[in-house]
Amino acid sequence: MDRILEQYFDFGVMFDPSNFDKVIDGFVFTIKLSIVAGIASLIWGLILAILRQTPGRLSWIVRVPTVAYIDVLRGVPALLTILLVSTSLGALAATDPLTGEGSVIPRWLGVPEWFGQPSPFWYGVFAITLTYGAYMAEVYRAGIEAVPGGQMEAARSLGMSYGKAMRFVIVPQAIRKVIPPLLNDYIALMKDTTLVSVIGLIEVVQAGRDIQSVEFNSSSLMLGAILFVLVTIPLARVVDWMITRQQAQYQRGSA
Amino acid sequence: MSAEAEERPGNGYTGPMIKLEGVEKRFGDLKVLNGVDLEIRKGEVVCVIGPSGSGKSTLLRCINLLAPPEAGQISLEGTEITSKDFDEGLDFVRRRVGMVFQQFNLFPHKNALENVTMAPQRVLGRSAEECRARGEELLERVGISDKIGEYPERLSGGQQQRVAIARALAMDPHVMLFDEVTSALDPELVKEVLDVMRELADEGMTMIVVTHEMGFARDVADRVVFMDEGVVVEQGPPVEVLENPQGERTKRFLGLVLEH
Repeated sequence: MDRILEQYFDFGVMFDPSNFDKVIDGFVFTIKLSIVAGIASLIWGLILAILRQTPGRLSWIVRVPTVAYIDVLRGVPALLTILLVSTSLGALAATDPLTGEGSVIPRWLGVPEWFGQPSPFWYGVFAITLTYGAYMAEVYRAGIEAVPGGQMEAARSLGMSYGKAMRFVIVPQAIRKVIPPLLNDYIALMKDTTLVSVIGLIEVVQAGRDIQSVEFNSSSLMLGAILFVLVTIPLARVVDWMITRQQAQYQRGSA
Repeated sequence: MSAEAEERPGNGYTGPMIKLEGVEKRFGDLKVLNGVDLEIRKGEVVCVIGPSGSGKSTLLRCINLLAPPEAGQISLEGTEITSKDFDEGLDFVRRRVGMVFQQFNLFPHKNALENVTMAPQRVLGRSAEECRARGEELLERVGISDKIGEYPERLSGGQQQRVAIARALAMDPHVMLFDEVTSALDPELVKEVLDVMRELADEGMTMIVVTHEMGFARDVADRVVFMDEGVVVEQGPPVEVLENPQGERTKRFLGLVLEH
């Protein structure tokens, strides 16, 4: 029993100043990445959802690639997408070492170092946004489809174009309906940001593993787990609370 | 065509406000409109009655092109709006035709005043102050001036429907379409909505009213149109159609509606 406790809750290891700082820095990095990637995913997902709903006779030109994108990115593990984005972008921005052929994409895109963040940070943002944009697009779509058809009819009968009706009538209502499921996706996204450890970023999991391999003790990893839970459980409760509140609103008999 | 309608003063354009010829509409295999011919004059109030599924609501949706017809022609103020080479079609129609729905369809995320001001502001590009002043005026006209800041969920059905009428009027339509606007209301709320419509009719608005309110049709309509199975079966002044129907189908329908 003591050995089990020591393995996971050795406070000497957990709160050793150098270990503790590494884990906290890693967690701050995780939070930073999840906020930037989260906002990007929310925007990209909404764009995808609107493209997917394009009306009209020629709309399949837009709809088919959008649906294909959403299906593929939801079907590929986030880890794989991260690997496909990271080193490849850097390689495409460099001169081919064998043939001497010039770069395919500009350096600012291939090796992004915006806002003082290292390029692996941005690879992580790209990859997670690509994946979670697809997930969130499906959530938005459910929200758009849950807005009664009469709303579009009313907006159109008042002379609004399809675009204006979406912008001022449909999308604002759809977003209100899907805030709880979007937050759920955000919790999942936050946890998946730990996958960027594979491209050499010292986020919370990698920090814990480094310490684990030196100390032969998992307490620092456990600290990472505790930090996650401190953030994700309150978030999950907020989601529950929002859902309850929304259901109460429906029961009052309004849309 | 009733005498009253002809006596109403017109300005400029004197032909029919709306003219439908051989209008057909189908949803999948279901043929909902089967060649409808109808003319509506400026200032005329036409009530459309008929059993459910007879195509009354679809007729309204054809007129404002929410559901464009597959065959036949519709003209609005002398302009054919169903013609293929009429580019500005939708804009032309929807700035002239207002519509009120059975389910109100107010925007739930906007309060009463914002519901009324949204379209003039976003579509016609009018200033916020101008829209606000006009919106307040319209809401007062439909008797909701004390609730302009309320959201739809806090309004009764009757109040919501009156806001919906004000919202349609805010676009200064030449024609108003009413699609069973009292069918979703509790009985005690029907009158307040019909009273607003009555006032509109008195002011000379051209109105097409799909309704089951035979009392309203009798009192307010210049003409009653009876539809069944996607065609106009019978039409004429309310007294004639409602009290002395000619067709068998009209008789049977009115028998069922008026008996209870």
